[in-house]
Amino acid sequence: MSDRAVGTAVSPVPLLELRGISKTFPGVKALDDVSFAIYPGEVHMLLGENGAGKSSLMKILCGAYTADAGEVYAKGEKVAITSTADAQTLGIAVIFQEFSLVPFLDIAQNIFLGREPKGRLPGTIDRRRILRDAKRVLDGIGFDIDPSVIVDTLGVAQQQMVEIAKAISQDARILVMDEPTAALSDREVELLFALIARLKADGVAIVYISHRMAEVFALGDRITVLRDGRRIDQVRPADVTPDQLVRMMVGRTIDMTYPRHFAEQPGELVLQVKGLSALTGISGIDIEVRRGEIVGLCGLVGSGRTEVARAIFGADPVTTGEIILDGKPISGEPDIAARRGIALIPESRKSEGLALLRSVGDNLVVSALKKLFPSRLYDPNSAQRTADGLIRQLRIATPSARQMVGLLSGGNQQKVVIGKWLAAGAKLFIFDEPTRGIDVGAKSEIFALIDRLVAEGAAALMISSEQIEICHVCDRAYVMRDGRVAGHLARSELTEENIVRLGMHHE
Amino acid sequence: MSDLAIASPISSLRRLPGVAIVLVLLIALFGAIAPGFLSAANLSNVLVQSTILTMLALPMTLIIMTEGIDLSMGAVLTLTSLCVAIVSLATQSMLLGLGAAVLVGTVFGLANGWLVAIAKIPPFVATLATLGMAHGLSLIVSDGQSVVGIPHSVRDIYSAKLLGIPVPILMGVASYGVFHGLLYHTRFGTYVFALGGNRDALRYAGLSPTRLLIAVYAIGGMMAGVAGLLMTARMNSGHPTAGLGLEFDAIAAVAVGGTSFERGKGWLLGTLLGVLAVGVLRNGLNLVSLPSSVQVASVGVLVIVAMFLDGLRSRA
Repeated sequence: MSDRAVGTAVSPVPLLELRGISKTFPGVKALDDVSFAIYPGEVHMLLGENGAGKSSLMKILCGAYTADAGEVYAKGEKVAITSTADAQTLGIAVIFQEFSLVPFLDIAQNIFLGREPKGRLPGTIDRRRILRDAKRVLDGIGFDIDPSVIVDTLGVAQQQMVEIAKAISQDARILVMDEPTAALSDREVELLFALIARLKADGVAIVYISHRMAEVFALGDRITVLRDGRRIDQVRPADVTPDQLVRMMVGRTIDMTYPRHFAEQPGELVLQVKGLSALTGISGIDIEVRRGEIVGLCGLVGSGRTEVARAIFGADPVTTGEIILDGKPISGEPDIAARRGIALIPESRKSEGLALLRSVGDNLVVSALKKLFPSRLYDPNSAQRTADGLIRQLRIATPSARQMVGLLSGGNQQKVVIGKWLAAGAKLFIFDEPTRGIDVGAKSEIFALIDRLVAEGAAALMISSEQIEICHVCDRAYVMRDGRVAGHLARSELTEENIVRLGMHHE
Repeated sequence: MSDLAIASPISSLRRLPGVAIVLVLLIALFGAIAPGFLSAANLSNVLVQSTILTMLALPMTLIIMTEGIDLSMGAVLTLTSLCVAIVSLATQSMLLGLGAAVLVGTVFGLANGWLVAIAKIPPFVATLATLGMAHGLSLIVSDGQSVVGIPHSVRDIYSAKLLGIPVPILMGVASYGVFHGLLYHTRFGTYVFALGGNRDALRYAGLSPTRLLIAVYAIGGMMAGVAGLLMTARMNSGHPTAGLGLEFDAIAAVAVGGTSFERGKGWLLGTLLGVLAVGVLRNGLNLVSLPSSVQVASVGVLVIVAMFLDGLRSRA
């Protein structure tokens, strides 16, 4: 089905049409020959997994990225979007998840930032006019608020409304919204939907990125599904079922091997989490991890995976629930968790896991100082021996233990983090996106290493956005959604489709 | 007494900014213990002595709102004060002295702005470097000596009155008026809020944060030039350490006044109250014959007390 065929029913000429857009970043093809048309008065849903290319496409639309190949047409005429100014001229406005508002200016000043009505004296602002104009814009989108209110005092939903008002005041004809309901309450979502209906009636086109199936079907006029930077299909909501959409989103190609020796019988319980809740937005989490197991923790970005890991490690305060390690409850601080044998290998290993300017050796022994030197006196030779042992054991590619960690490759840095916890005698490893930013070969090695760790009696909890990795590496997995465990998948049920289905909103 | 009767004044007190409470408490304290503190002559004196600090603290507020800082202000003021002394001594013209001071101050401000906005040197380091340069230049141009014998036209500014009000007070009030207008009623002022609050918002609006940032620092240098005239008039000479540590008082006044070092939260009136709190504190301690070393330490205490009161308020 071509764009044109679908589009005819809405309006003959698209407001904006992308043809054959490609964008490559070092090592990854973010967008590959994507075509995409937007018609006035339609809500165009953009669907895809994490990393499918949605944000790249959005950034090309607003001029933050420039496409490597492909053409853009506005109302049938060829144009180029090379800057945010170009996008603005074409009437494209993006409502980002992080707002572009200035906290300590009022609503009116934010709406007209850079376009203030001139006052009588040079450089001054016509205060009465800016308030009047702002009021008119706000009324136009049905947002009843005093435009002289300071933005910092507004809630997230209200700030989003201001952001939309700002876009509308710039005569935006195409609004790109990135998961606009992510931080809204049910009532606020209703208001937003009412506003979207109003904008549609005015002929504004909306590109809407969402992970919530209910929204996709409630709001969407058309749905474009992206996967691995490619446009998989474009459909109308009436023609598909949620299950069909999920199948379009998954099915990424396997580009590596996953070495894994699955245990016949899982060992005794290492970690037991019962009804865990924390202020960071997770609640009622029940998780078990046994010796010799790699347990996956998946779900969309923002579903609370990292928050669960941090709560188990004691990095965020727990409000209710129990964490039991080796049959004994554990609570409190990261240093207690570390002493009891929990290792957290964070996603941002550069900021949280390693001292980049120190040597490989220093980083390897830093968590094991108490164990290595009970007398509290540092012995460089013994530290060196421990470090050398770990470098050999983990096959860390470094000229010597004296090399600065920051100079190693991503995969080898990851090994140093693992080695650091190994030296400290960890028995539960929590990996948060262990393969982010490392190349395919190194990934394979990291998985082999994790496999060896659990084969030797450790237990692992692995967070990953790469569903395919979870499917190939994990014994079983928990899927999170909105801060809760949405479901558990045994080895036999562990497929990408099941993970995506559980992780998305169906209600 | 019922709970209600106690609760209501406390809750309204909580809405008052910490700096206002501190200022009232300080005035009450010194009114009680320092003889002559509340006399018209002394209060006028407090205001006159606060003028120079006002002229530094106002632009410092803008700079801090951009998540920056200007450590060089005291040293630049010393240099501009010497410029006034030397140029007015040579030309017998107060205006030429002022012109030279404003020029030199603005050049330093532009340099600070360039280092911060274009060379991307952290403001703390950049302005520490220019502090050193201004200090060194002061020692060179003065040869380490006071510049004395300056013309009456300069000296008289400090003691002159207009409509019965001391001229320095009028200059302070005028400075506040100009900065208030600049920050709250011009496009430039709007963009100062955005420089600290959300620089991307400026870029999306097609504005250049770089040029705005340079302008903010330049204004700081220019004001140090104007304040240099008052400093020379006040001391009746140019002195190579005249402005020593004034940046400390200016930053303290801004902090006491409730301007935040993050997210572009600024309050100009708070800075003025902060300047007055510092002025009252120094004057009062002077009246009860405590040495200046105690005054410096007490300004530090003042900052902590005001922050503490604001912290209580925001938690309430």
